[in-house]
Amino acid sequence: MAQRKAQHYWRSWEEGPGASEFVQISRDEFAESLDRPTEQFSRRSFLKAAGFTATVTALAAGCSHAPVEKAIPYLIQPEEIVPGVSYFYATTCGGCSAACGVLAKNRDGRPIKLEGNPEHPLSRGGLCVVGQASLLNLYDSHRLKGPLREGQESTWAEADAHIRAQLETIRASRGAVRVLSGTVSSPTLRAQIQTFLASFRDARHIVYDALSSSAIADAHQATHGERRVPHFRFDKADVIVSFDADFLGTWISPVEFTRDYASGRRLDTLPPRMSHHTQVESRLSLTGAKADQRIRVSPAENAAWIESLAACLAKTAGAALPFALNGEVGPHNSIIEQLARRLWQARGRCLVVCGSQEPRAQILVNLINHLLGNYGTTLDWNAPSQQKAGNDCELEALSEELDRGRVAALFLLHVNPVYELPNGPAFRAALGRVPLVVNFADRWEETSSLSRFLCPDHNPLESWGDAEAVRGVYGLCQPAIRPLGNTRSVLESFAAWSGDTRSAYELVRAHWRENIFPHAGNAGEFDAFWDRAVETGFVSTAVQATNAKPFSFSALENLPKISTPAGLSMVLYPKVAMLDGRFAENPWLQELPDPISKVAWDNYACFSPAAAQRLGVQEGDVVRLETTTEGGATTSTELPAFLQPGQHDQVVAVALGYGRQGTERFANAGPKWLFARSGVGADGRVGKNAAPFVTLRDGYLQYVRGGIRVTSTGRRSALASTQGHHSLTMPKDLPLVGGQHRDIVRETTLPALLAGDFKAAPSPAKINGLWPTDHPYTGHRWAMAIDLTACTGCSGCVVACQAENNIPVVGKDEVLRHREMHWMRIDRYYAGEDEVDVVHQPMLCQQCDNAPCETVCPVIATVHSAEGLNQQIYNRCVGTRYCANNCPYKTRRFNWFNYMREDALQNLALNPDVTVRSRGIMEKCSFCVQRIEAARIEARRSDKLIADGQIQTACQQSCPAQAIVFGDLNDPSSRISKMVQGPRRFAVLEEFNFRPAVNYLAVVRNRDASGKSPSEDRSNG
Amino acid sequence: MNDRLITIVLLVGLAFSLGVFAVQAGSWHLPGNQQGYEPIQPIAFSHRLHAGEMQLGCVYCHSAAEVSRHAGIPPASTCMNCHRYVSAPLGVLRAEDDLAKKENRKPRSIVSPEIQKIYAALGLDDQLARDPQKNLAPIAWTRVYRLPDFVYFNHSAHVNVGVACQQCHGPVETMDRVKHVSDLTMGWCVNCHRTANAAGVATKPVHPSTDCSTCHY
Repeated sequence: MAQRKAQHYWRSWEEGPGASEFVQISRDEFAESLDRPTEQFSRRSFLKAAGFTATVTALAAGCSHAPVEKAIPYLIQPEEIVPGVSYFYATTCGGCSAACGVLAKNRDGRPIKLEGNPEHPLSRGGLCVVGQASLLNLYDSHRLKGPLREGQESTWAEADAHIRAQLETIRASRGAVRVLSGTVSSPTLRAQIQTFLASFRDARHIVYDALSSSAIADAHQATHGERRVPHFRFDKADVIVSFDADFLGTWISPVEFTRDYASGRRLDTLPPRMSHHTQVESRLSLTGAKADQRIRVSPAENAAWIESLAACLAKTAGAALPFALNGEVGPHNSIIEQLARRLWQARGRCLVVCGSQEPRAQILVNLINHLLGNYGTTLDWNAPSQQKAGNDCELEALSEELDRGRVAALFLLHVNPVYELPNGPAFRAALGRVPLVVNFADRWEETSSLSRFLCPDHNPLESWGDAEAVRGVYGLCQPAIRPLGNTRSVLESFAAWSGDTRSAYELVRAHWRENIFPHAGNAGEFDAFWDRAVETGFVSTAVQATNAKPFSFSALENLPKISTPAGLSMVLYPKVAMLDGRFAENPWLQELPDPISKVAWDNYACFSPAAAQRLGVQEGDVVRLETTTEGGATTSTELPAFLQPGQHDQVVAVALGYGRQGTERFANAGPKWLFARSGVGADGRVGKNAAPFVTLRDGYLQYVRGGIRVTSTGRRSALASTQGHHSLTMPKDLPLVGGQHRDIVRETTLPALLAGDFKAAPSPAKINGLWPTDHPYTGHRWAMAIDLTACTGCSGCVVACQAENNIPVVGKDEVLRHREMHWMRIDRYYAGEDEVDVVHQPMLCQQCDNAPCETVCPVIATVHSAEGLNQQIYNRCVGTRYCANNCPYKTRRFNWFNYMREDALQNLALNPDVTVRSRGIMEKCSFCVQRIEAARIEARRSDKLIADGQIQTACQQSCPAQAIVFGDLNDPSSRISKMVQGPRRFAVLEEFNFRPAVNYLAVVRNRDASGKSPSEDRSNG
Repeated sequence: MNDRLITIVLLVGLAFSLGVFAVQAGSWHLPGNQQGYEPIQPIAFSHRLHAGEMQLGCVYCHSAAEVSRHAGIPPASTCMNCHRYVSAPLGVLRAEDDLAKKENRKPRSIVSPEIQKIYAALGLDDQLARDPQKNLAPIAWTRVYRLPDFVYFNHSAHVNVGVACQQCHGPVETMDRVKHVSDLTMGWCVNCHRTANAAGVATKPVHPSTDCSTCHY
């Protein structure tokens, strides 16, 4: 079998197929020109300055006294707390309704880091960007400090008195009471809301998700007789087909799905297990980037593909359908047949998922899964997911009621309908007609500013609570800090208005005693059960096996019509960091470069390069996107264009969650200096709100909008894109060992790997090194391995690193100047042209044995440790930046300023074990040396050796795919020692003899040995 | 004539400056070196009395030193373990007892002004019960030993291998008021790490690292 020819990897359209100035820009260290006026500095001036400096130094030295510092101990120290020691409290993440288990690292009374809870049955130690960053929401000074009434500060007693009085009137007059919320994952809160509503004649709890999966639940209502979202088990699937479902990025429960997906693609087991993943999608999603086979289709074609796949499978299964499905998708039938064949061979071991909001598509997907016998295996029907409980149909009914002024009281629970619903302005107007509007939002935002009563909820880290992610898996929330403001748990608010004065703790405990403990199947005392739950953060209970109703073929009889968007369609999608915009005021999330586009601090209109050419649009051009509704009303927005390879040519993709009220605060997020520019748009906000393009049609929130007109505004806007920053290039003109050009990332196919044809690392050649081998490593030798086959690029590690290592946020303007400070970045490479393959490569300091940075430091501020760490000593550094210049991996970051936090309160989240770097200092990944040292101290204290796996770096801990392994190479039994043995191991630029301690395992795609996926054969449709 | 005067004035000035410099030079430190610092504390707590005469072990009060990076200053509740019963110097209490016996009455409670400060901090009344009228006021000690923020020092790592407290903090058991004894410079730290590597701590072999990242990260 011939070795596959080296791929040509590229990072952006300009660098790849559409080459231009990019390559030059990416090689320059400074984004801006350096020809600033330089003054003549004469010898005299030098002497003057030197003399003055010497005098001042001498004076300062002679008179200096450290500031008097107070040490204030406890009066009565709590028994379990020792100052300076971190404690972990198991709780549940409040970032989204996926409800992953987290451990809150508490230091001296405050949480300073969230880690995934490795024991949790769903998330199993992983945590996403939103979960990692949600720590910062706790320390947000913009949170409301207490209840407000008519916009004025109030007290809980006063607010309660008014609300209860008004509720009495409503009860007497039989007015309509509505609670509008996102998915409430807390069973206690659901019960509390029901108790509260039970006392009213006309009361309803309406649930919607801004990122809705309503059609999945409704399709199951039609086909299986119950409105459920089944629990998807990607770990059990050997063949995965996803139609526009970004399940590794943002869909339903990405951390759990990533873990499951990765466990289905384990190459270190014998025999290796590797699922086959086909992604049919219109934009390039994180999931599509990982797919073995990726098929670009327009949103209009998507349904046809599902339909013909269903028809093809029905024919194979010999199922009698009540009517004939259209089995034609034109020239691509061979791909469909191949898909169907692959699925059929893996009956009961495959999974077809669909992210569409078209009920027809979802019903057909149910049919496909039914024909393949997946219900009960890869689709868990008995323990359905509780993570997307929204029902968009009810939303339509509510809008109508509101319009007619029929609602007497509206409670808004963690939703922002004025911002996130397509009819936001109408909603705003309708709110004015509701006599009692109570909002639990914790800040001023689009909807809360219109509410009569603001009853801010605690942050999830401040309160007791619970969450049921999947039926039978209950997570418990416990407070990790005393509430910072005079806020109150929603549980307590609803209880208070129902005449119940119990605290949230008592309410949760009582609910668990009555409803969860009896099913937990242990005969012990409730107290012991509760204590155990508080300790572990969750309990699993047995779920009753409900007999799934047989698939109802009658549901197929009158399939709802599909609407096919015409012309250029807008696809509205959530980014992994911003989701629906719920945490738009979180600077860590704003500054995180999107894993695919690598753009931070903005949303933008993504066009495929071909579409951009057709429309005459260039990257950075501000374009006006416009569409007209049936009623003749026009919706429009203006966004900078971004060229996104791999996207369908009939699509413009725009991210939701931007343009939020409150993001005005980021205007001056960066350092204040002469050339500082504002980090927000002309309207003062970060990005533009794309929610007006969402439609609520036939009872479903639709994220595809047809008939988009694109016009140029003639303006240009710079996008804070990091894709050309700190980029690695393999110089073509350098003589390499063996003379072969090798790429920064390596990939192969599963057959080639199994055949033993593949070897990622260059064959060992005699290298005449410049460096003496003076690192004996007699003790430990720390190293890392990153499995690129497992890595999805989700970026959870980037934010985990930021939280652990006190990495500052620099703001959009500084990112534009290539000065982002992330110690870890996710390099994203494309290969191919129309049908692109994507490789994500986490890039951090490679801790080279022969580190080029060490040899050039004039003050020896970066030196090698006896255990293989490349140490950066901040107090020694004078900021020459020689090291960054000489670093081949571009992983060093320079503090151009004292980067203050935009919000001083957020300094409470700083990790006291890591120095806060000041201006003029170089910094970089330290392999979380603070964790190594902590483990060493602990090991010596208990007279043990550091066990393999005991030290987890922050990035490793957070990785949902478990792609990162850290350990001791000198221990032959350690996991890392074994990982670096296989043929997939390579190091970046290893031909240059830097001998990095970070090893990568090559990407393996489940394709035939030619590396081609069938989709590459077809012309772009 | 005039020139001479100027010369004399200058010489006198120079002599005076040199004199002042010579005096100052004795106590001159590099920035950050707090050797000799001996601040007045809010309570005149005597280590000589407690650790010296009474022979209380250091970690009885500074118990965090065994498990944490900080040695910790004991909470007021630790003081109360003894000072619930001992409210004044023993001699004074004995004298009052004798006097009371002689006068055939119950001894009066005598509280020394320094110990009264602990009771005040804890908001206690004469009977040493919590007085809800009084505010709790933590005791704000003045920190004596302080390392720069870019140095990570862990007490437990040193205490657990047997480094005596006095090795860094000096003969605290002889001090009425704690004085900054060592200079806490990096050279001083590294020398000890080197010596310990060769000779161990109290002949026990330990291998402290001299890598930068042992302390700097």
